[in-house]
Amino acid sequence: MTTDSPLIHLRGVAKHYDVGPARVTALGGVDLDVAEGEFVVVLGPSGCGKTTLLNMIGALDTPTEGSIAVGGRDITGASRGELFGFRRRTVSFIFQSFNLFPGLTARENVEFGIDASGRRQRSEAPEVLADVGLGDRVDHFPHQLSGGEQQRVAIARALATDNPVLLADEPTGELDFRTGTQILELLRAEAGPGHAVLVVTHNREISRVADRVIELSSGSVVSDGPPEGGRVPISELHW
Amino acid sequence: MSLWLRWSWRDLRARWVQVAAIALVIALGTGSYAGLSSLTVWRIDAAEQSFELTKMYDLRARLPAGSFVEQGDLRAALADLEDRGWVEASEERLLVPTQLDASTADETILVTGQIVGVDLSDGGPSVNRVLALEGRELTEADAGEDIVLLELNFAHHYDLPIEGEVLIAGDRPIRYVGHGSSPEQFTVITEGGGFLAQATFASMFTSLETAQRLGAQPGAVNDLVLLLTDDADHQQAAADLEAALDGAGIGATVMEPLDDAAYRLITEDPEGDQQFYNVFAIAIFGGAVFAAFNLTTRMVESQRREIGIAMAIGISPRIIAMRPLLFGLQIAFLGVVFGVAVGVLIALAMQGLLAELQPALPVFEAPFQFQLFATVALIGLAVPLLAIMYPVLRAVRVHPVDAIKPTHLAARGNRFVAALRRIPLPGNTFAQLPFRNLLRSPRRAFLTILGVGAVLSVLVGIVGLLDSLIRTIDRSDDELLSGAPDRIEITLDQFYPVDSPAADIVLNSPVLTDAEPVLQVAGASLVADDPDEDIDLFVSFVDLESDLWRPTVTNGSVDRDTLGVVLSEGAATDMGVSPGDDVELRYPRRTGPTNFEVVQESVSVLGTHAHPFRFVAYFDSTHASFVGLEGATNLIYARPAAGEDEDSVQRALFGSAGVASVQGVTATTDAIRDAMAEFTGVFQVIQGAALILALLIAFNAASISEDERARENATMLAFGIPLRTILRMAVIESLAIGILGTVIGLGGGFLILLWTVEVLLPQTLPDITLESTLSLGSLAIVLLLGIVAVAAAPLFTLRKLRRMNIPSTLRVME
Repeated sequence: MTTDSPLIHLRGVAKHYDVGPARVTALGGVDLDVAEGEFVVVLGPSGCGKTTLLNMIGALDTPTEGSIAVGGRDITGASRGELFGFRRRTVSFIFQSFNLFPGLTARENVEFGIDASGRRQRSEAPEVLADVGLGDRVDHFPHQLSGGEQQRVAIARALATDNPVLLADEPTGELDFRTGTQILELLRAEAGPGHAVLVVTHNREISRVADRVIELSSGSVVSDGPPEGGRVPISELHW
Repeated sequence: MSLWLRWSWRDLRARWVQVAAIALVIALGTGSYAGLSSLTVWRIDAAEQSFELTKMYDLRARLPAGSFVEQGDLRAALADLEDRGWVEASEERLLVPTQLDASTADETILVTGQIVGVDLSDGGPSVNRVLALEGRELTEADAGEDIVLLELNFAHHYDLPIEGEVLIAGDRPIRYVGHGSSPEQFTVITEGGGFLAQATFASMFTSLETAQRLGAQPGAVNDLVLLLTDDADHQQAAADLEAALDGAGIGATVMEPLDDAAYRLITEDPEGDQQFYNVFAIAIFGGAVFAAFNLTTRMVESQRREIGIAMAIGISPRIIAMRPLLFGLQIAFLGVVFGVAVGVLIALAMQGLLAELQPALPVFEAPFQFQLFATVALIGLAVPLLAIMYPVLRAVRVHPVDAIKPTHLAARGNRFVAALRRIPLPGNTFAQLPFRNLLRSPRRAFLTILGVGAVLSVLVGIVGLLDSLIRTIDRSDDELLSGAPDRIEITLDQFYPVDSPAADIVLNSPVLTDAEPVLQVAGASLVADDPDEDIDLFVSFVDLESDLWRPTVTNGSVDRDTLGVVLSEGAATDMGVSPGDDVELRYPRRTGPTNFEVVQESVSVLGTHAHPFRFVAYFDSTHASFVGLEGATNLIYARPAAGEDEDSVQRALFGSAGVASVQGVTATTDAIRDAMAEFTGVFQVIQGAALILALLIAFNAASISEDERARENATMLAFGIPLRTILRMAVIESLAIGILGTVIGLGGGFLILLWTVEVLLPQTLPDITLESTLSLGSLAIVLLLGIVAVAAAPLFTLRKLRRMNIPSTLRVME
């Protein structure tokens, strides 16, 4: 599934924070390549730097050192305006706490994703929702949906952008097992030609369904490869 | 307790900009009320003390213009009252009309005026005293000398020096030694109804002897003022005096202070004005209440989960309520502190303006109104506490599980809200979001809209009132200038036969053309069933079919042969009469060369005219015999001859025997227009307060919305939505609030205007018929302030938005 040039390309990416006289390293010199079609899980305990890594790739944060290229474009020295355009057309986010717009219905939240990237027609929103199993919930507001349904709307919103990189930060963190596996299935299916999915989690079980697991500890990559014991179907997960 | 205090203090510090803004909102509401109300207390005190100091008369007997009696004749009519011990003091005076030339090197100042001759013996006059507020007092030694005090309002209007020389009719130079004030001139109102007429009318106070000599009325008087003792029955005394004067064959009008337009204006105006202030201050305060309630509610709602957690761990609602209530108390305290400052500033600004507007009051003190401010401070303290009480009680009433529930799971709103949310909207999500956000919490949006609407209604009320006044003056000008915009009025100093030399010199003057004799009679009134409803009239006998000028008849028809009166529309409405009906008219009728008697007679109403002043009434000049003045004139209408203008006519006729004044027909309305320009300053203070308030409400709403929607904004930023798009959405939402607030403001403001013009002004200013008017220019200002300023408020949150830490905002766990 992969092509020669990686979709995500990080070299020596580090992030330091100065807290008073002390310097805290959130990420220390990470090298990383993710090819299209890959479903990558970034694993590690709280505070290991995995969300920082995700934010760097998504251009929500800037590295102190190193370079980042996504979709063949170096974003390290990009201007503020260029970063806005990058986020609109290259990456999509799924958050642990969904961050849906409470004033918009499920359909409208998905339309927001379409409007943001401008890649698809707004009339496709119900179809995208149907793809995530919410064909009968299109006109519901977020507060009328369960947590799992809200996260599926968030995924639909991200998918609707049709952006090549999907970044998910603890997407199952607030969900029960059954709903969590449904969400993982949706994310897993998104990894295909022209698209890569990067999921950040502290749940080791989730990493078993990944093509590749990158384990972080104290801001450094300590392992990078297929899941231990090989990739398993989602139906075999337990937590 | 200290924990809760610390915690609420941290709340305050975390939102200090919004807290300061709410405190300012409250301060503007309370401060404007306290400041404006202080002014009323000062004005009433100043008026009372000034009238007391100058011994304003209790009764006055005035002879009609041009009538005189021998000195001592008027006082003789007091014999009965003196026998009863009711007269504390009395003074005979002589008031003679004149012209005054006070021109300076820079300015031509030719005005009509009067010489007020008073008895200066024994430190007099003892009634209606004359005080030199600038320069020196008149003394007994000045009796008979050509020395006067120049009336202070007039002198200030033209910035005349404290001492100097002026010319009066006959080019006679008169030295003035100061600027003087007397109760009936505390504010200048001419007989013709021109109020604030200091630009066109000058009084000179001098000794009785001097006035008699200058007015060519040796040994004559025409005015009596007296003070009654405390035990005197004023009404009875007035009736007895009138009877005594009648018995002596003297046709005089007996007046009490309330019949004096200047006295009425000064004593009743503050209370009337206070009603204006109350309306405006209450509207501002109402806006502040809505704003404070709305904003504190939102702040408490943002603590909802923390309140739920506290409830879950068993803390009593009373203790839980302490934190937001302490927060409210801090806002209230700040509001009161700011409010006192705002009140003092507004009062100072108003005090300065008022001192400029009424410089002739000899007493004007402005002590700090502790009681007033304390009352208002209490209200200012209570309002935010009450405002915060409701959301707190609401928050502690719910089950902890509901309070803890994350926002995105918390079902909100009733069916109405749900229905609002489902209104289909056009455009993409960026176009829809601003309206979705509004419809998401309609109660909150409505309160913000009401807050903006309340303060805008104040603006509309004020600018509308000014527009209505200007429109009225314009109507007056339109009517007076119709046909002959250069028309000039030459007032004679008394009634003259039309063929007398005094009239002839004007009627055949080479500097004039189309000259027409007119007769003007003051002291008439329409008699109503209730004596309090009587309407004073200023009657002119004019050629109702004249080519030079004639009143525009708006209703009815004019037939020169039919005796009848043409009333103003206001007078006809107030008397409930239409053309063809009869009215009872009380008026002075000449019975001898200088004697008049007051008679009452029924007269037919021919029609109504277009002049907005209620007291203006017309008869045709062929019916002058009705008042016993056939063949007489005291006013001449004319136009400047070719090559002449008002100024040259004034100069040519100045000093002519019998000519009292030469003025353009709009001299009075021009003076009112000038005075209004000064009054505008008063309204600008209120306008300024309202504008700042509207901006604060809008800024606060935008700022709190930005806080509340921080995660939504962060999500949008994460999806690459540019800042300008996010700001545009906030601006559109604010714009919608601004538009709706402005609509409410326009509606509310027009109601205030209607109430002011239709209800309040007819009571406080019955002689002027105003039409509620809001000019396009004013409408544009209100729309600009209400819509543009409110819409622009979110731009102030740009910095915060730019500095947002997107990852940490997104990761905040609900």
